[in-house]
Amino acid sequence: MGILQARTLERYPTVEKRAKVFNGASYVPVPEDGPFLKALLFELRLLDDEKDFLESRDSCSHINKTSIYGLPVGSEELWPVVAFLKNGMIYACVPLVEQTLSPRPPLISISGISQGFELLFGVQDFLSSGQKNDSELNTKLSQLSDLLLQTCPFGTLLDANLQNSLDNINFASVTHPQKQPAWKTGTYKGKPQVSISITEKVNSMQYDKQEIADTWQVVGVVTCKCDLEGSMPNVTISLSLPTNGSPLQDILVHPCVTSLDSAILTSSSIDAMDDSAFSGPYKFPLTPPLESFNLCYYTSQVPVPPILGFYQVKEEEVQLKIAVNLKLHESVKNSFEFCEAHIPFYNRGPITHVEYKASFGQLEVFREKSLLVWIIGQKFPKSMEISLSGTITFGAKNHEKQPFDQICIGGTAYLKLHFRILDYTLTGCYVDQHSVQVFASGKPKIST
Amino acid sequence: MGPLGRETWAQRLGTFRASPSAFMAGPEGEDLGRDLLSDLRSEKLSEPMKVALLALCLEYPAQLWPEVPAAEAAATSLLDTLVLLPPRPSALRRPLLLAATTALAAGGALSPASGASRRLLPLLLGLASGRDLGRSFGPASEQRPLQATAWECLRELESCRPGLLRGCLGLLRTLLGREGPVQPLSLLLALALRNALVIQARAGAGLQGLLTAGDSSMEGGPWNWTLAEEGDVHLQPQAPSWPAAEEGECGLGALELSPEEARELRATVAQLLDASYLLTPVAQAQLLWLLGWALRGLRGQPPVLFKPQLVRLLGTAQLTLLHATLALKAAFGEALFTAQDEALLLRRLTLAAQHPALPLPTHLFYLHCLLNFPENWPLGPTGEEAAPLLLGSQLCRGLLPSLLHEPMAFLARLHLLCLLCMEEEEKEEKGQDQSPRHYLEELLAGLRQRAALDRGPRALATLCFQASYLVAHCLAGQSVVLTPLTQGLAQLYRTRPALAPHFVDLLDRVGLELQEPLRVALRQEVVSRPGREEALRWHLLMLARVADGDAQSATLNFLWAAATHCTDWGLQQALLRVCRALLRAGVGGGLADLLQALARQLEDPDGQDHARLYYILLAHLAGPKLGVALGPSLAAPALASSLVAENQGFAAALMVQEAPAPVRLSVGPRRAEGPVPVLQLQVEVLEPVYSLELRFRVERQLYAPLGAVHVPCLCPGRPTRPLLLPLQPRRPAPARLAVRALYSTPSGLTCHAHLPPLLVTFADLFLPFPQPPEGAQLDFFEELWDSCLPKGTESRLWCSLGPGGLEALVSRHLEPFVVVAQPPVSYLVAIRLPPDSRLLLRLEAAQADGVPVALRTDDWAVLPLAGDYLRGLSAAG
Repeated sequence: MGILQARTLERYPTVEKRAKVFNGASYVPVPEDGPFLKALLFELRLLDDEKDFLESRDSCSHINKTSIYGLPVGSEELWPVVAFLKNGMIYACVPLVEQTLSPRPPLISISGISQGFELLFGVQDFLSSGQKNDSELNTKLSQLSDLLLQTCPFGTLLDANLQNSLDNINFASVTHPQKQPAWKTGTYKGKPQVSISITEKVNSMQYDKQEIADTWQVVGVVTCKCDLEGSMPNVTISLSLPTNGSPLQDILVHPCVTSLDSAILTSSSIDAMDDSAFSGPYKFPLTPPLESFNLCYYTSQVPVPPILGFYQVKEEEVQLKIAVNLKLHESVKNSFEFCEAHIPFYNRGPITHVEYKASFGQLEVFREKSLLVWIIGQKFPKSMEISLSGTITFGAKNHEKQPFDQICIGGTAYLKLHFRILDYTLTGCYVDQHSVQVFASGKPKIST
Repeated sequence: MGPLGRETWAQRLGTFRASPSAFMAGPEGEDLGRDLLSDLRSEKLSEPMKVALLALCLEYPAQLWPEVPAAEAAATSLLDTLVLLPPRPSALRRPLLLAATTALAAGGALSPASGASRRLLPLLLGLASGRDLGRSFGPASEQRPLQATAWECLRELESCRPGLLRGCLGLLRTLLGREGPVQPLSLLLALALRNALVIQARAGAGLQGLLTAGDSSMEGGPWNWTLAEEGDVHLQPQAPSWPAAEEGECGLGALELSPEEARELRATVAQLLDASYLLTPVAQAQLLWLLGWALRGLRGQPPVLFKPQLVRLLGTAQLTLLHATLALKAAFGEALFTAQDEALLLRRLTLAAQHPALPLPTHLFYLHCLLNFPENWPLGPTGEEAAPLLLGSQLCRGLLPSLLHEPMAFLARLHLLCLLCMEEEEKEEKGQDQSPRHYLEELLAGLRQRAALDRGPRALATLCFQASYLVAHCLAGQSVVLTPLTQGLAQLYRTRPALAPHFVDLLDRVGLELQEPLRVALRQEVVSRPGREEALRWHLLMLARVADGDAQSATLNFLWAAATHCTDWGLQQALLRVCRALLRAGVGGGLADLLQALARQLEDPDGQDHARLYYILLAHLAGPKLGVALGPSLAAPALASSLVAENQGFAAALMVQEAPAPVRLSVGPRRAEGPVPVLQLQVEVLEPVYSLELRFRVERQLYAPLGAVHVPCLCPGRPTRPLLLPLQPRRPAPARLAVRALYSTPSGLTCHAHLPPLLVTFADLFLPFPQPPEGAQLDFFEELWDSCLPKGTESRLWCSLGPGGLEALVSRHLEPFVVVAQPPVSYLVAIRLPPDSRLLLRLEAAQADGVPVALRTDDWAVLPLAGDYLRGLSAAG
């Protein structure tokens, strides 16, 4: 197994030795860093030479349906290479396959695949958490090798939470009491406290078309931090909904949750909605880790989108006439941290001239980015309805400068609304302070 | 050389990592391993630097110490360094233990004969069991982390040499009870247990009290190697835990456990599972894989032990845990998952495959798992991707592809959609608009619309063709899908001819179901729309792939029109490539005119030459030969220049090649009739040949030149008639015939082979005289006898006879030439020897052991040959 970090692969020779035995004639050694990286960049389509048709990359039968690749190494192929791109970094590793590679076994039968993914997700979390600038990133990259020695000795991943292991190195002398979980690196000493926060995001697509249904789905995450004494405090956290709240669905929980009601397990957005859907309270008994963690993710189908939009574009020679209407639903809290509408005009020339009339807020023009941003601010007016109309003129199209956009093709255009409302959930989902039960010494302070 | 400084080492490590092979081949390569080991003890280097050196030992032992003795020496040196560390806290102990383990395991040095192994194993076991190793071995504060390290090292050694810790199972169990469910110990015990079960099952033995053996067995004393057998033979592939793999390969069914042993085993597994929630999720997953595998197929070990874990596992978003659950599902099937459980698992998997909170790589992996879901009762063939039976269209609704998806997600979902369409096909046709097929068509149309965008990124076009390929592959039998697909693609070509390379690639790869109609549609598209410049380039590229014998006049008209625009070399070559394709397809008349015109009209001499060459080929070669000549080059492929390759192709196809003989010839029985001697040649065919021509040359010109023999076709295994070769001797003498064969192979090459020479013996030339009328035989013979002298000569000799006597000899060798016979004692024989000689024999008054022979000939030169012949007869009996 190898992992790519700052252009260096971490290598595990005992694993390679086993691979040689298991894979037999189909064994392909992991190449040196340079050739590996080159092959990987090619496979991920990151070498931006797309001008000509290249059979090894563009052939119709070269189909990848997972983030697992085969890299050409000489005349052979190194497989499976787990790799993905995230925030400008490539994460890659080569898991051990404990069987012959020809014929290729299905990925599902290789335990190393999910272990490899988990390792890379762990590295990604570690590198991106709290990272502000390049020097911080470099510090973290330099710690990575030592961390992997700790969490991934001989290429076997012991803990995907690298931050924990870093803390563990620093607390090496702490003697572990009996039954200390491996995912808990120490014990908390101090005032007991439990903080829980719920963040909801709404993804909505409104087409205003007969043949395509509009969609709006809420995705929620519940984050907890439990500062409690004792090695294994038991906590139960309940999520509740108001009487008419939209049921939570597709609930995925943190592994520290010890058991789940079958109603929670089966509640899913796949089913048609009906009144019999389970609507809480959603109880999560758990033994919390020390660090802040995501207790659960859920989705929900609220009855209406929080903001209803209408967007019309008319092409008149070199000009575009646009009309936008936005309407905030009355049930939604009218108090935003921010609210702005992004109106892009990709796959055209740069904006040369804009004339507009807005019933509310102001418009900013980013000529080179071909983007208008309508800043709506903290509040919708009393009518709950605002509008914008205008005429935009474009210059000549310059293909080299502009990135290609897949949606703004021909008469198709879109408007993207970004907003955040504090202390409010669309589903109405909340954590009742009194419903949080803690079985540990001391009376904790509970904040939600 | 003294210890290197910090700077020097940092630079050296950097160079090494940049390219280990280059470094090792360089001047410093040889010393690196040695310097590194010695500098680990240097006091000048800081601890972090030493940790960096040890990291190198961990990653590149094969480069540093490629031979087994070197690996052994390195491990010994690392252990010495470890022992020599002063008894204060140090960051080096852990990496030193890891490095020594790596050196032994990766270097293949782990064995009872290895001194380092004999030191390392007891050391690790001592650390692992928490025994006091003396003050020299680190401060008390380090004992706990070192204990964990020792467990990790032991686990790696057990992984590389399964069975190594078979004798320690009892000890490990006791430790687990004493230390609590510590993660590395749990994993070590699970691994050792799994390996032990597999090995014992293979040996047909029970557990032999291994689980209960006290901790005294291994502690202190020398390591018991008898339980860890040699080599890699025990490394077991992981696949047997998967249903697609051969049943019984895992072979745990052979393991006979006593009730006592079964109880102990169950207790151990329960002990590990019950505390598994204390492990990190990734470690839990490893534990489940190991234990699932260990218990699969084991009699008397119901998988119900896993049941309490499942509820917890099903709720989680954790990739490794859900994957491990699927592994348990695969291992135990219905024994652990009822139909309801299966439905719930499938539901959770479907949900996770689209959950907005999870990242794309996870979605894609879950989609893969869905299509490879280990069903309790799979219907289809194993090993093929298929939608599980319980996955209805309702469940799939959220998994349908949309144009907004990432290419990988799109293709994965498209595959699922294709599988749904396949099922739909099998069912009744229902509401047209809502059918998955209708949706699929809309999607493909959307893809084509995006691919058609002028200057759109190539990735969009690639995706469109990948999707078309996938659909054609999955739904090959469904013309309702393929017809609109063909039309849509033809239209896409019309809009954006620059995609021609993608079309050619697609045509090369899809099955005939799409290939044929698409080829015809594209040809139609090209020839009906003559283009200029840029488009013309693509049209010609396209036409070279799709042109065939049909629609000749339209194609030729297109080419005549195109020829006037082909002004540069590239276009001319493209045009000629189309001509070549037409030549191969056997297009004749109109093409000859075009080629002649091109030979005159093209400005580029290379183009002219090619046109002329094609014209000459067309005019001179028959259709099949032309096809071969222009077919894929038989010369080494991958030549840089297509022209060179093409010329080599011609050379191979049009030149006669030397080859080993495809037939074997031998002279068959003599015919002795007709006006001239005729050789009967028996043919043994070694490989199929066509148009075989055999040419014979008589050495020393003893006979007139021989005509060639022609055979249209010969195949091995098919009976062949003998070939007749008439001889025209100039002198009645034996001769050697040199033989050559000229023929065509099934692949159309013309070959030439030398065959071994054929020998024509003296007797092969014998012919009888015309039969005289009845009653006149004696006079006829006497007349011949008298006529030999005085020109000729007479001789006598004794011919000894075998057990059959004279009668047998004559009937075997001289029968056709006997003129007067008085069996069994007297025969008069007259032989005609072309061109105009005779040989007369009187065999009279035969005795039991021989016969006196009087012979006369009219040709002195025949006498020694006749003498040899008769002596040969008598020797043969």
